[in-house]
Amino acid sequence: MVSRSGTCIVVGASSGIGLAVARRLAIAGRKVALLARREGELRAMAATIDDALGRQAAFPYVHDAADAAAAEPLFARIEQDLGPVDELHYVAGVMPEVALDEFDLEKDRLQVQVNLLGCIAWGNAAARRFLARQAGCIVGVTSVAQDRGRIGKPVYHASKAGMDTYLEALRNRLWRHGVRVTTIRPGFVETPMTAGLKLKGAIAADKAAELILRARDKQKAIAYVPWKWRPIMFVIRNVPSFVFRRLSI
Amino acid sequence: MTTTAQPTWRDEDVRGFGMAVGGPAQVLRPTSAEQIAAAFAEVAAQGGSIALRGAGCSYGDAATSKGGRVLDLSAMNRILGFDAETGIATVEPGVTVRDLWRRAIAYGYWPKVVSGTMAVTMGGAAAMNIHGKNNFALGSFGECVESFDLLTPGGEQVHCTRESQPELFHAAISGFGMLGCFTRLQIRTKRVHSGRLRVWGIVARDLAHNLQILEDLRGTADYLVSWVDLHGKGVALGRGLMHRAEQLAPGEDPPGLRYFDPVLQDVPTTLFGVVPKGWLWPGMWGAVHLRQVALVNWLKFQAGAREQRHSPYLQTHGAFHFLLDYVPRWQWMTKPGGLIQFQPFVPFAHGERVLRQIVERCQAAGHVPYLGVLKRHRPDPFLMTHAVDGYSLAMDFAVSTNRRRRDALWRLCQELADLVLDVGGRFYYAKDAVLLQSSFARVHGEATVGRFRELKRRWDPNRLLQTDLSRRLGV
Repeated sequence: MVSRSGTCIVVGASSGIGLAVARRLAIAGRKVALLARREGELRAMAATIDDALGRQAAFPYVHDAADAAAAEPLFARIEQDLGPVDELHYVAGVMPEVALDEFDLEKDRLQVQVNLLGCIAWGNAAARRFLARQAGCIVGVTSVAQDRGRIGKPVYHASKAGMDTYLEALRNRLWRHGVRVTTIRPGFVETPMTAGLKLKGAIAADKAAELILRARDKQKAIAYVPWKWRPIMFVIRNVPSFVFRRLSI
Repeated sequence: MTTTAQPTWRDEDVRGFGMAVGGPAQVLRPTSAEQIAAAFAEVAAQGGSIALRGAGCSYGDAATSKGGRVLDLSAMNRILGFDAETGIATVEPGVTVRDLWRRAIAYGYWPKVVSGTMAVTMGGAAAMNIHGKNNFALGSFGECVESFDLLTPGGEQVHCTRESQPELFHAAISGFGMLGCFTRLQIRTKRVHSGRLRVWGIVARDLAHNLQILEDLRGTADYLVSWVDLHGKGVALGRGLMHRAEQLAPGEDPPGLRYFDPVLQDVPTTLFGVVPKGWLWPGMWGAVHLRQVALVNWLKFQAGAREQRHSPYLQTHGAFHFLLDYVPRWQWMTKPGGLIQFQPFVPFAHGERVLRQIVERCQAAGHVPYLGVLKRHRPDPFLMTHAVDGYSLAMDFAVSTNRRRRDALWRLCQELADLVLDVGGRFYYAKDAVLLQSSFARVHGEATVGRFRELKRRWDPNRLLQTDLSRRLGV
């Protein structure tokens, strides 16, 4: 069993899955750096964690995940403030509404910046340190959306697929040095990002967080959250293109 | 923002929650204050009247208007803001208790006063000045309203706070939609330090024991509510199961932090994770119509002892408060006649005697309520309030489709109302379906009713706002 006592970083922690993960880490007694863009929300959420636990466990840092260059210095600052980090959760993600005939580079750029480049920036910052220490764990939340490029949100799928592949490469590089990299592919989860989508059978963000931390503990390489998405995505992945391009999913 | 066209009036069957009263009406669902004002002007020009309606959770005729017009505000349901520093929400009138707590809990807040169902709207809650299981401690819903905008029948928007418009503030809240329509409200919520409450189930042997527990605990408990088995007779009369709940202090329940996720607060929609609860009401219908309610109540009372042994336990706020949402459409079990709820508020000094008389009288008359709920209350500053320093016993009666039996139930309730009014008790218009015009002044006192009628003349001289309730009471 890996000892877990260092500081955790959660990128994208002011709502949804990131917030739920941060709460669970704090409950488990960890010091958690909460990173998010919206300062008001971030501070309010950090305050509820400290208040409920009756001690300071949540440390808010305002950070825009689209600002990849800020990751390295902020990582250093967090270690300086809170001590060595041994766990990174990259949960930041954006999924703007995209019409079927819309090809908006600005929306696409933002998704690549937040979903992919941000993950690379934070992954690199963590990998460099964890490799040197021969310990640590990186959890990246991609999506079942990464398994196939679908008509609805092309760049969401592409950015998540890029992130997924990056994490796999990182895992292959670092595992032999004692650093664990776990890729989480959530299905439907009730979060502010998916509000209004009326997803049938969506699980609570807290449930997703529970499964994510369990996958981390089991040192899983790839975990579908919940597991039922693994067979579902197996089928979807194997639908031949001449069929898939006629489907509306 | 896009402006939408004025919606149109539709013919619908508009009933109270209990389905026993109400009837066909023309319904309009506005989405803005401008649309409400336009509807007011339109109907006023025709010399008609309008009833204001939220989620339609009033058991009786407070939000119905047989053959008339009904303004259903449930589509005005935006939360306009939530201040994480103060816990004050700014809402439109159709925002429900559920909408509010889902927003608030993520920030570590919970509405100060919630009803037993989360379907209730903010506008309705303020108009009826609803209470919760903490009425004895925090007072009524009106006490957590910071301010509101009231659109009067004359088309005037009046911003009211306790200070700026003290008279209108205290009369529109509790004024059952007679003085104007809330178009925006500011509601104060309270800090909670866990997503859960510490809950005790306490078996009450009889009515005296039930009341004694309320008195013993009302200084320390945050919430107190007792389920009463009204089929209990003799030494078991008024027996039941008290639920006491307390909020947790910072650091007392670290895992409770997880329950700030709103999804974990919702009451489960399935039984044992598989059976949809929407399918349960036919079973309850069977219990009512095969006259097995006494048996169901007895079983529930017996189960109370087990709950007491396992107390205290931790329960989410949602699961503790919203018992009425556990079984969707439960009121259908009383179909086809529907149900009425009779909830007398009896002053402390006469509590035990009068409540005992009421239960005995029901049993003697053969109209035993299938559900009884006992609570402790305290007075509040609102003009048409129902709250007294004393007790209330909410009793749910299934209504028969047999005309004679239905009339006998109404007469019984009116007779019971006399008992209550004789000792200075009160009634609650979110529930009432039976009071007579002659009782209106006795509920509030001549002077209060006079003041209310004067305010009605001032703000609504043409009596645009009317409901079946207001006509029944001769407001």
